[in-house]
Amino acid sequence: MLELKGVVSGYGETRVLHGTDFVVAAGSVHALLGRNGVGKSTTLKTIIGHLPLQDGSIAFQGSSIDRSPQVNARRGIAYVPETRDIFGSLSVQENLELAGRLAGVNPEWTIARVIDFFPNLKDRLSNGGQELSGGEQQMLAIGRALMTDPKVLVLDEPTEGLAPIIIQQIFAKLKELKSGGMTVLLVEQNLSFALGLADDVSLMSRGQIAWRGTATDLRNDDVAHEKYLGV
Amino acid sequence: MDAGFWILQFLNATQFSMLLFLLSIGLTVIFGLLHFVNLAHGALYMLGAYIGISAAAWTGSFWAALVLAPIAVTLIGAVLYFTLIDRLRSAGPMNQVLVTFGLIFVFIDLVRIGWGDVALGLNAPQVLSGATDLGIVSYPTYRLFLIGLGAMVMAILWIVLSKTQIGAMIRASVENEAMAKALGINVGELFFAVFCVGCALAGLAGVAAAPVLSATTGMGISILIPTLIVVVIGGLGSLEGAIVGSFIVGFIETFSAAILPGLAAILTYVLLAAVLVLRPRGLLPARA
Repeated sequence: MLELKGVVSGYGETRVLHGTDFVVAAGSVHALLGRNGVGKSTTLKTIIGHLPLQDGSIAFQGSSIDRSPQVNARRGIAYVPETRDIFGSLSVQENLELAGRLAGVNPEWTIARVIDFFPNLKDRLSNGGQELSGGEQQMLAIGRALMTDPKVLVLDEPTEGLAPIIIQQIFAKLKELKSGGMTVLLVEQNLSFALGLADDVSLMSRGQIAWRGTATDLRNDDVAHEKYLGV
Repeated sequence: MDAGFWILQFLNATQFSMLLFLLSIGLTVIFGLLHFVNLAHGALYMLGAYIGISAAAWTGSFWAALVLAPIAVTLIGAVLYFTLIDRLRSAGPMNQVLVTFGLIFVFIDLVRIGWGDVALGLNAPQVLSGATDLGIVSYPTYRLFLIGLGAMVMAILWIVLSKTQIGAMIRASVENEAMAKALGINVGELFFAVFCVGCALAGLAGVAAAPVLSATTGMGISILIPTLIVVVIGGLGSLEGAIVGSFIVGFIETFSAAILPGLAAILTYVLLAAVLVLRPRGLLPARA
């Protein structure tokens, strides 16, 4: 579904990724883990087109990703940023409708289905985006991404700053999406959250993939734990 | 100073506010969306007036001029967009200010070459000439038309921006361009469309002001300062800010000129300074 080969990227002159390679298989949840600052978010931003690809290649469904984010979005890459980036000057409904423009006729995801999926949003539709709690914002950010009828969901730290009870809700919802066949690329600091969802795991270190395997492999590999995730 | 005096000043202030609104809305939305400081916006207003006067002479119709001038100014704006503005988007505010400030003088000289350096008038159409009796005062009909025109544009823009999907796209892009792109919005096309609307409104303001103020080569610069103040007071990129700012500046300038002529020249600047100190992002900033 998504294949990165020798990806080099960064901010201006500062290179963060030095040849990142991994493959996200269709229908799988792929967790990209590692300590702070190793380039996880940079990888996601390069995939969606927010940062220019300086070298290497990123293929999505067999053809190269575009340099403009709106083209990638239209091709089915949906992004949920770490900061959620809900449009505060738009109502919850407008946030969802805006994303729904991307879906074709007879979209899989409608506002009704998103509300069904995240009932917390039901009474919030006419609220402004800036009036939501952190958990509601995260639900809206995921709901908004789903409204685009994505082929792959790119999630950057969906649990960050959320209460445990909300994290459990989000976990259950992502599990539900996974069993529905959604392909997900997940960056996450919460290890048990990530391993509970992921099929495959790539561990990043200094802008490269230092370890790769299944979630089960990682659970049994204390060395990798220690080396790439321990504090 | 009787009631008639106050009503008259009120109407004058409203009419000036509407003119400021037509100009500042274009400037503020262009800034909010493109992060571009377009000082040539005042020159487009001047071009609207001169082109409108010529269009009225050629077609013999004020109404044709009212339609043709904004279209012509939009075309000029589109040329500017592709030749300069799009390239300068990432060049930083100083370069943008220098280039667009230079453009003002280019346009002024072009107008001097084309129309000469004399004030030109434009006659209001027959139906709008004369005065309308409003009971206590009678007021020039054309100025009432200007107030109505401004109010109509204000209402249309408000409906489009707050109630339609294209409005939601514009608000989203002003607030967070990167996220708007990640949701598939073609921000570049949207920016261009908004820029064109801004130019059209500057052209409309120019031709609509011509029967009241008459066209001069200095008109673009003299309106630019209060327009910039409106944009800064209201909050860069904000429609509500442009509305509120236009009325504040329009009323302060008109009433202070009538009541406190000695202070008129500085009051707006005092207000500007106060807003910059107390609310540096403007009274109604676009980003929450």
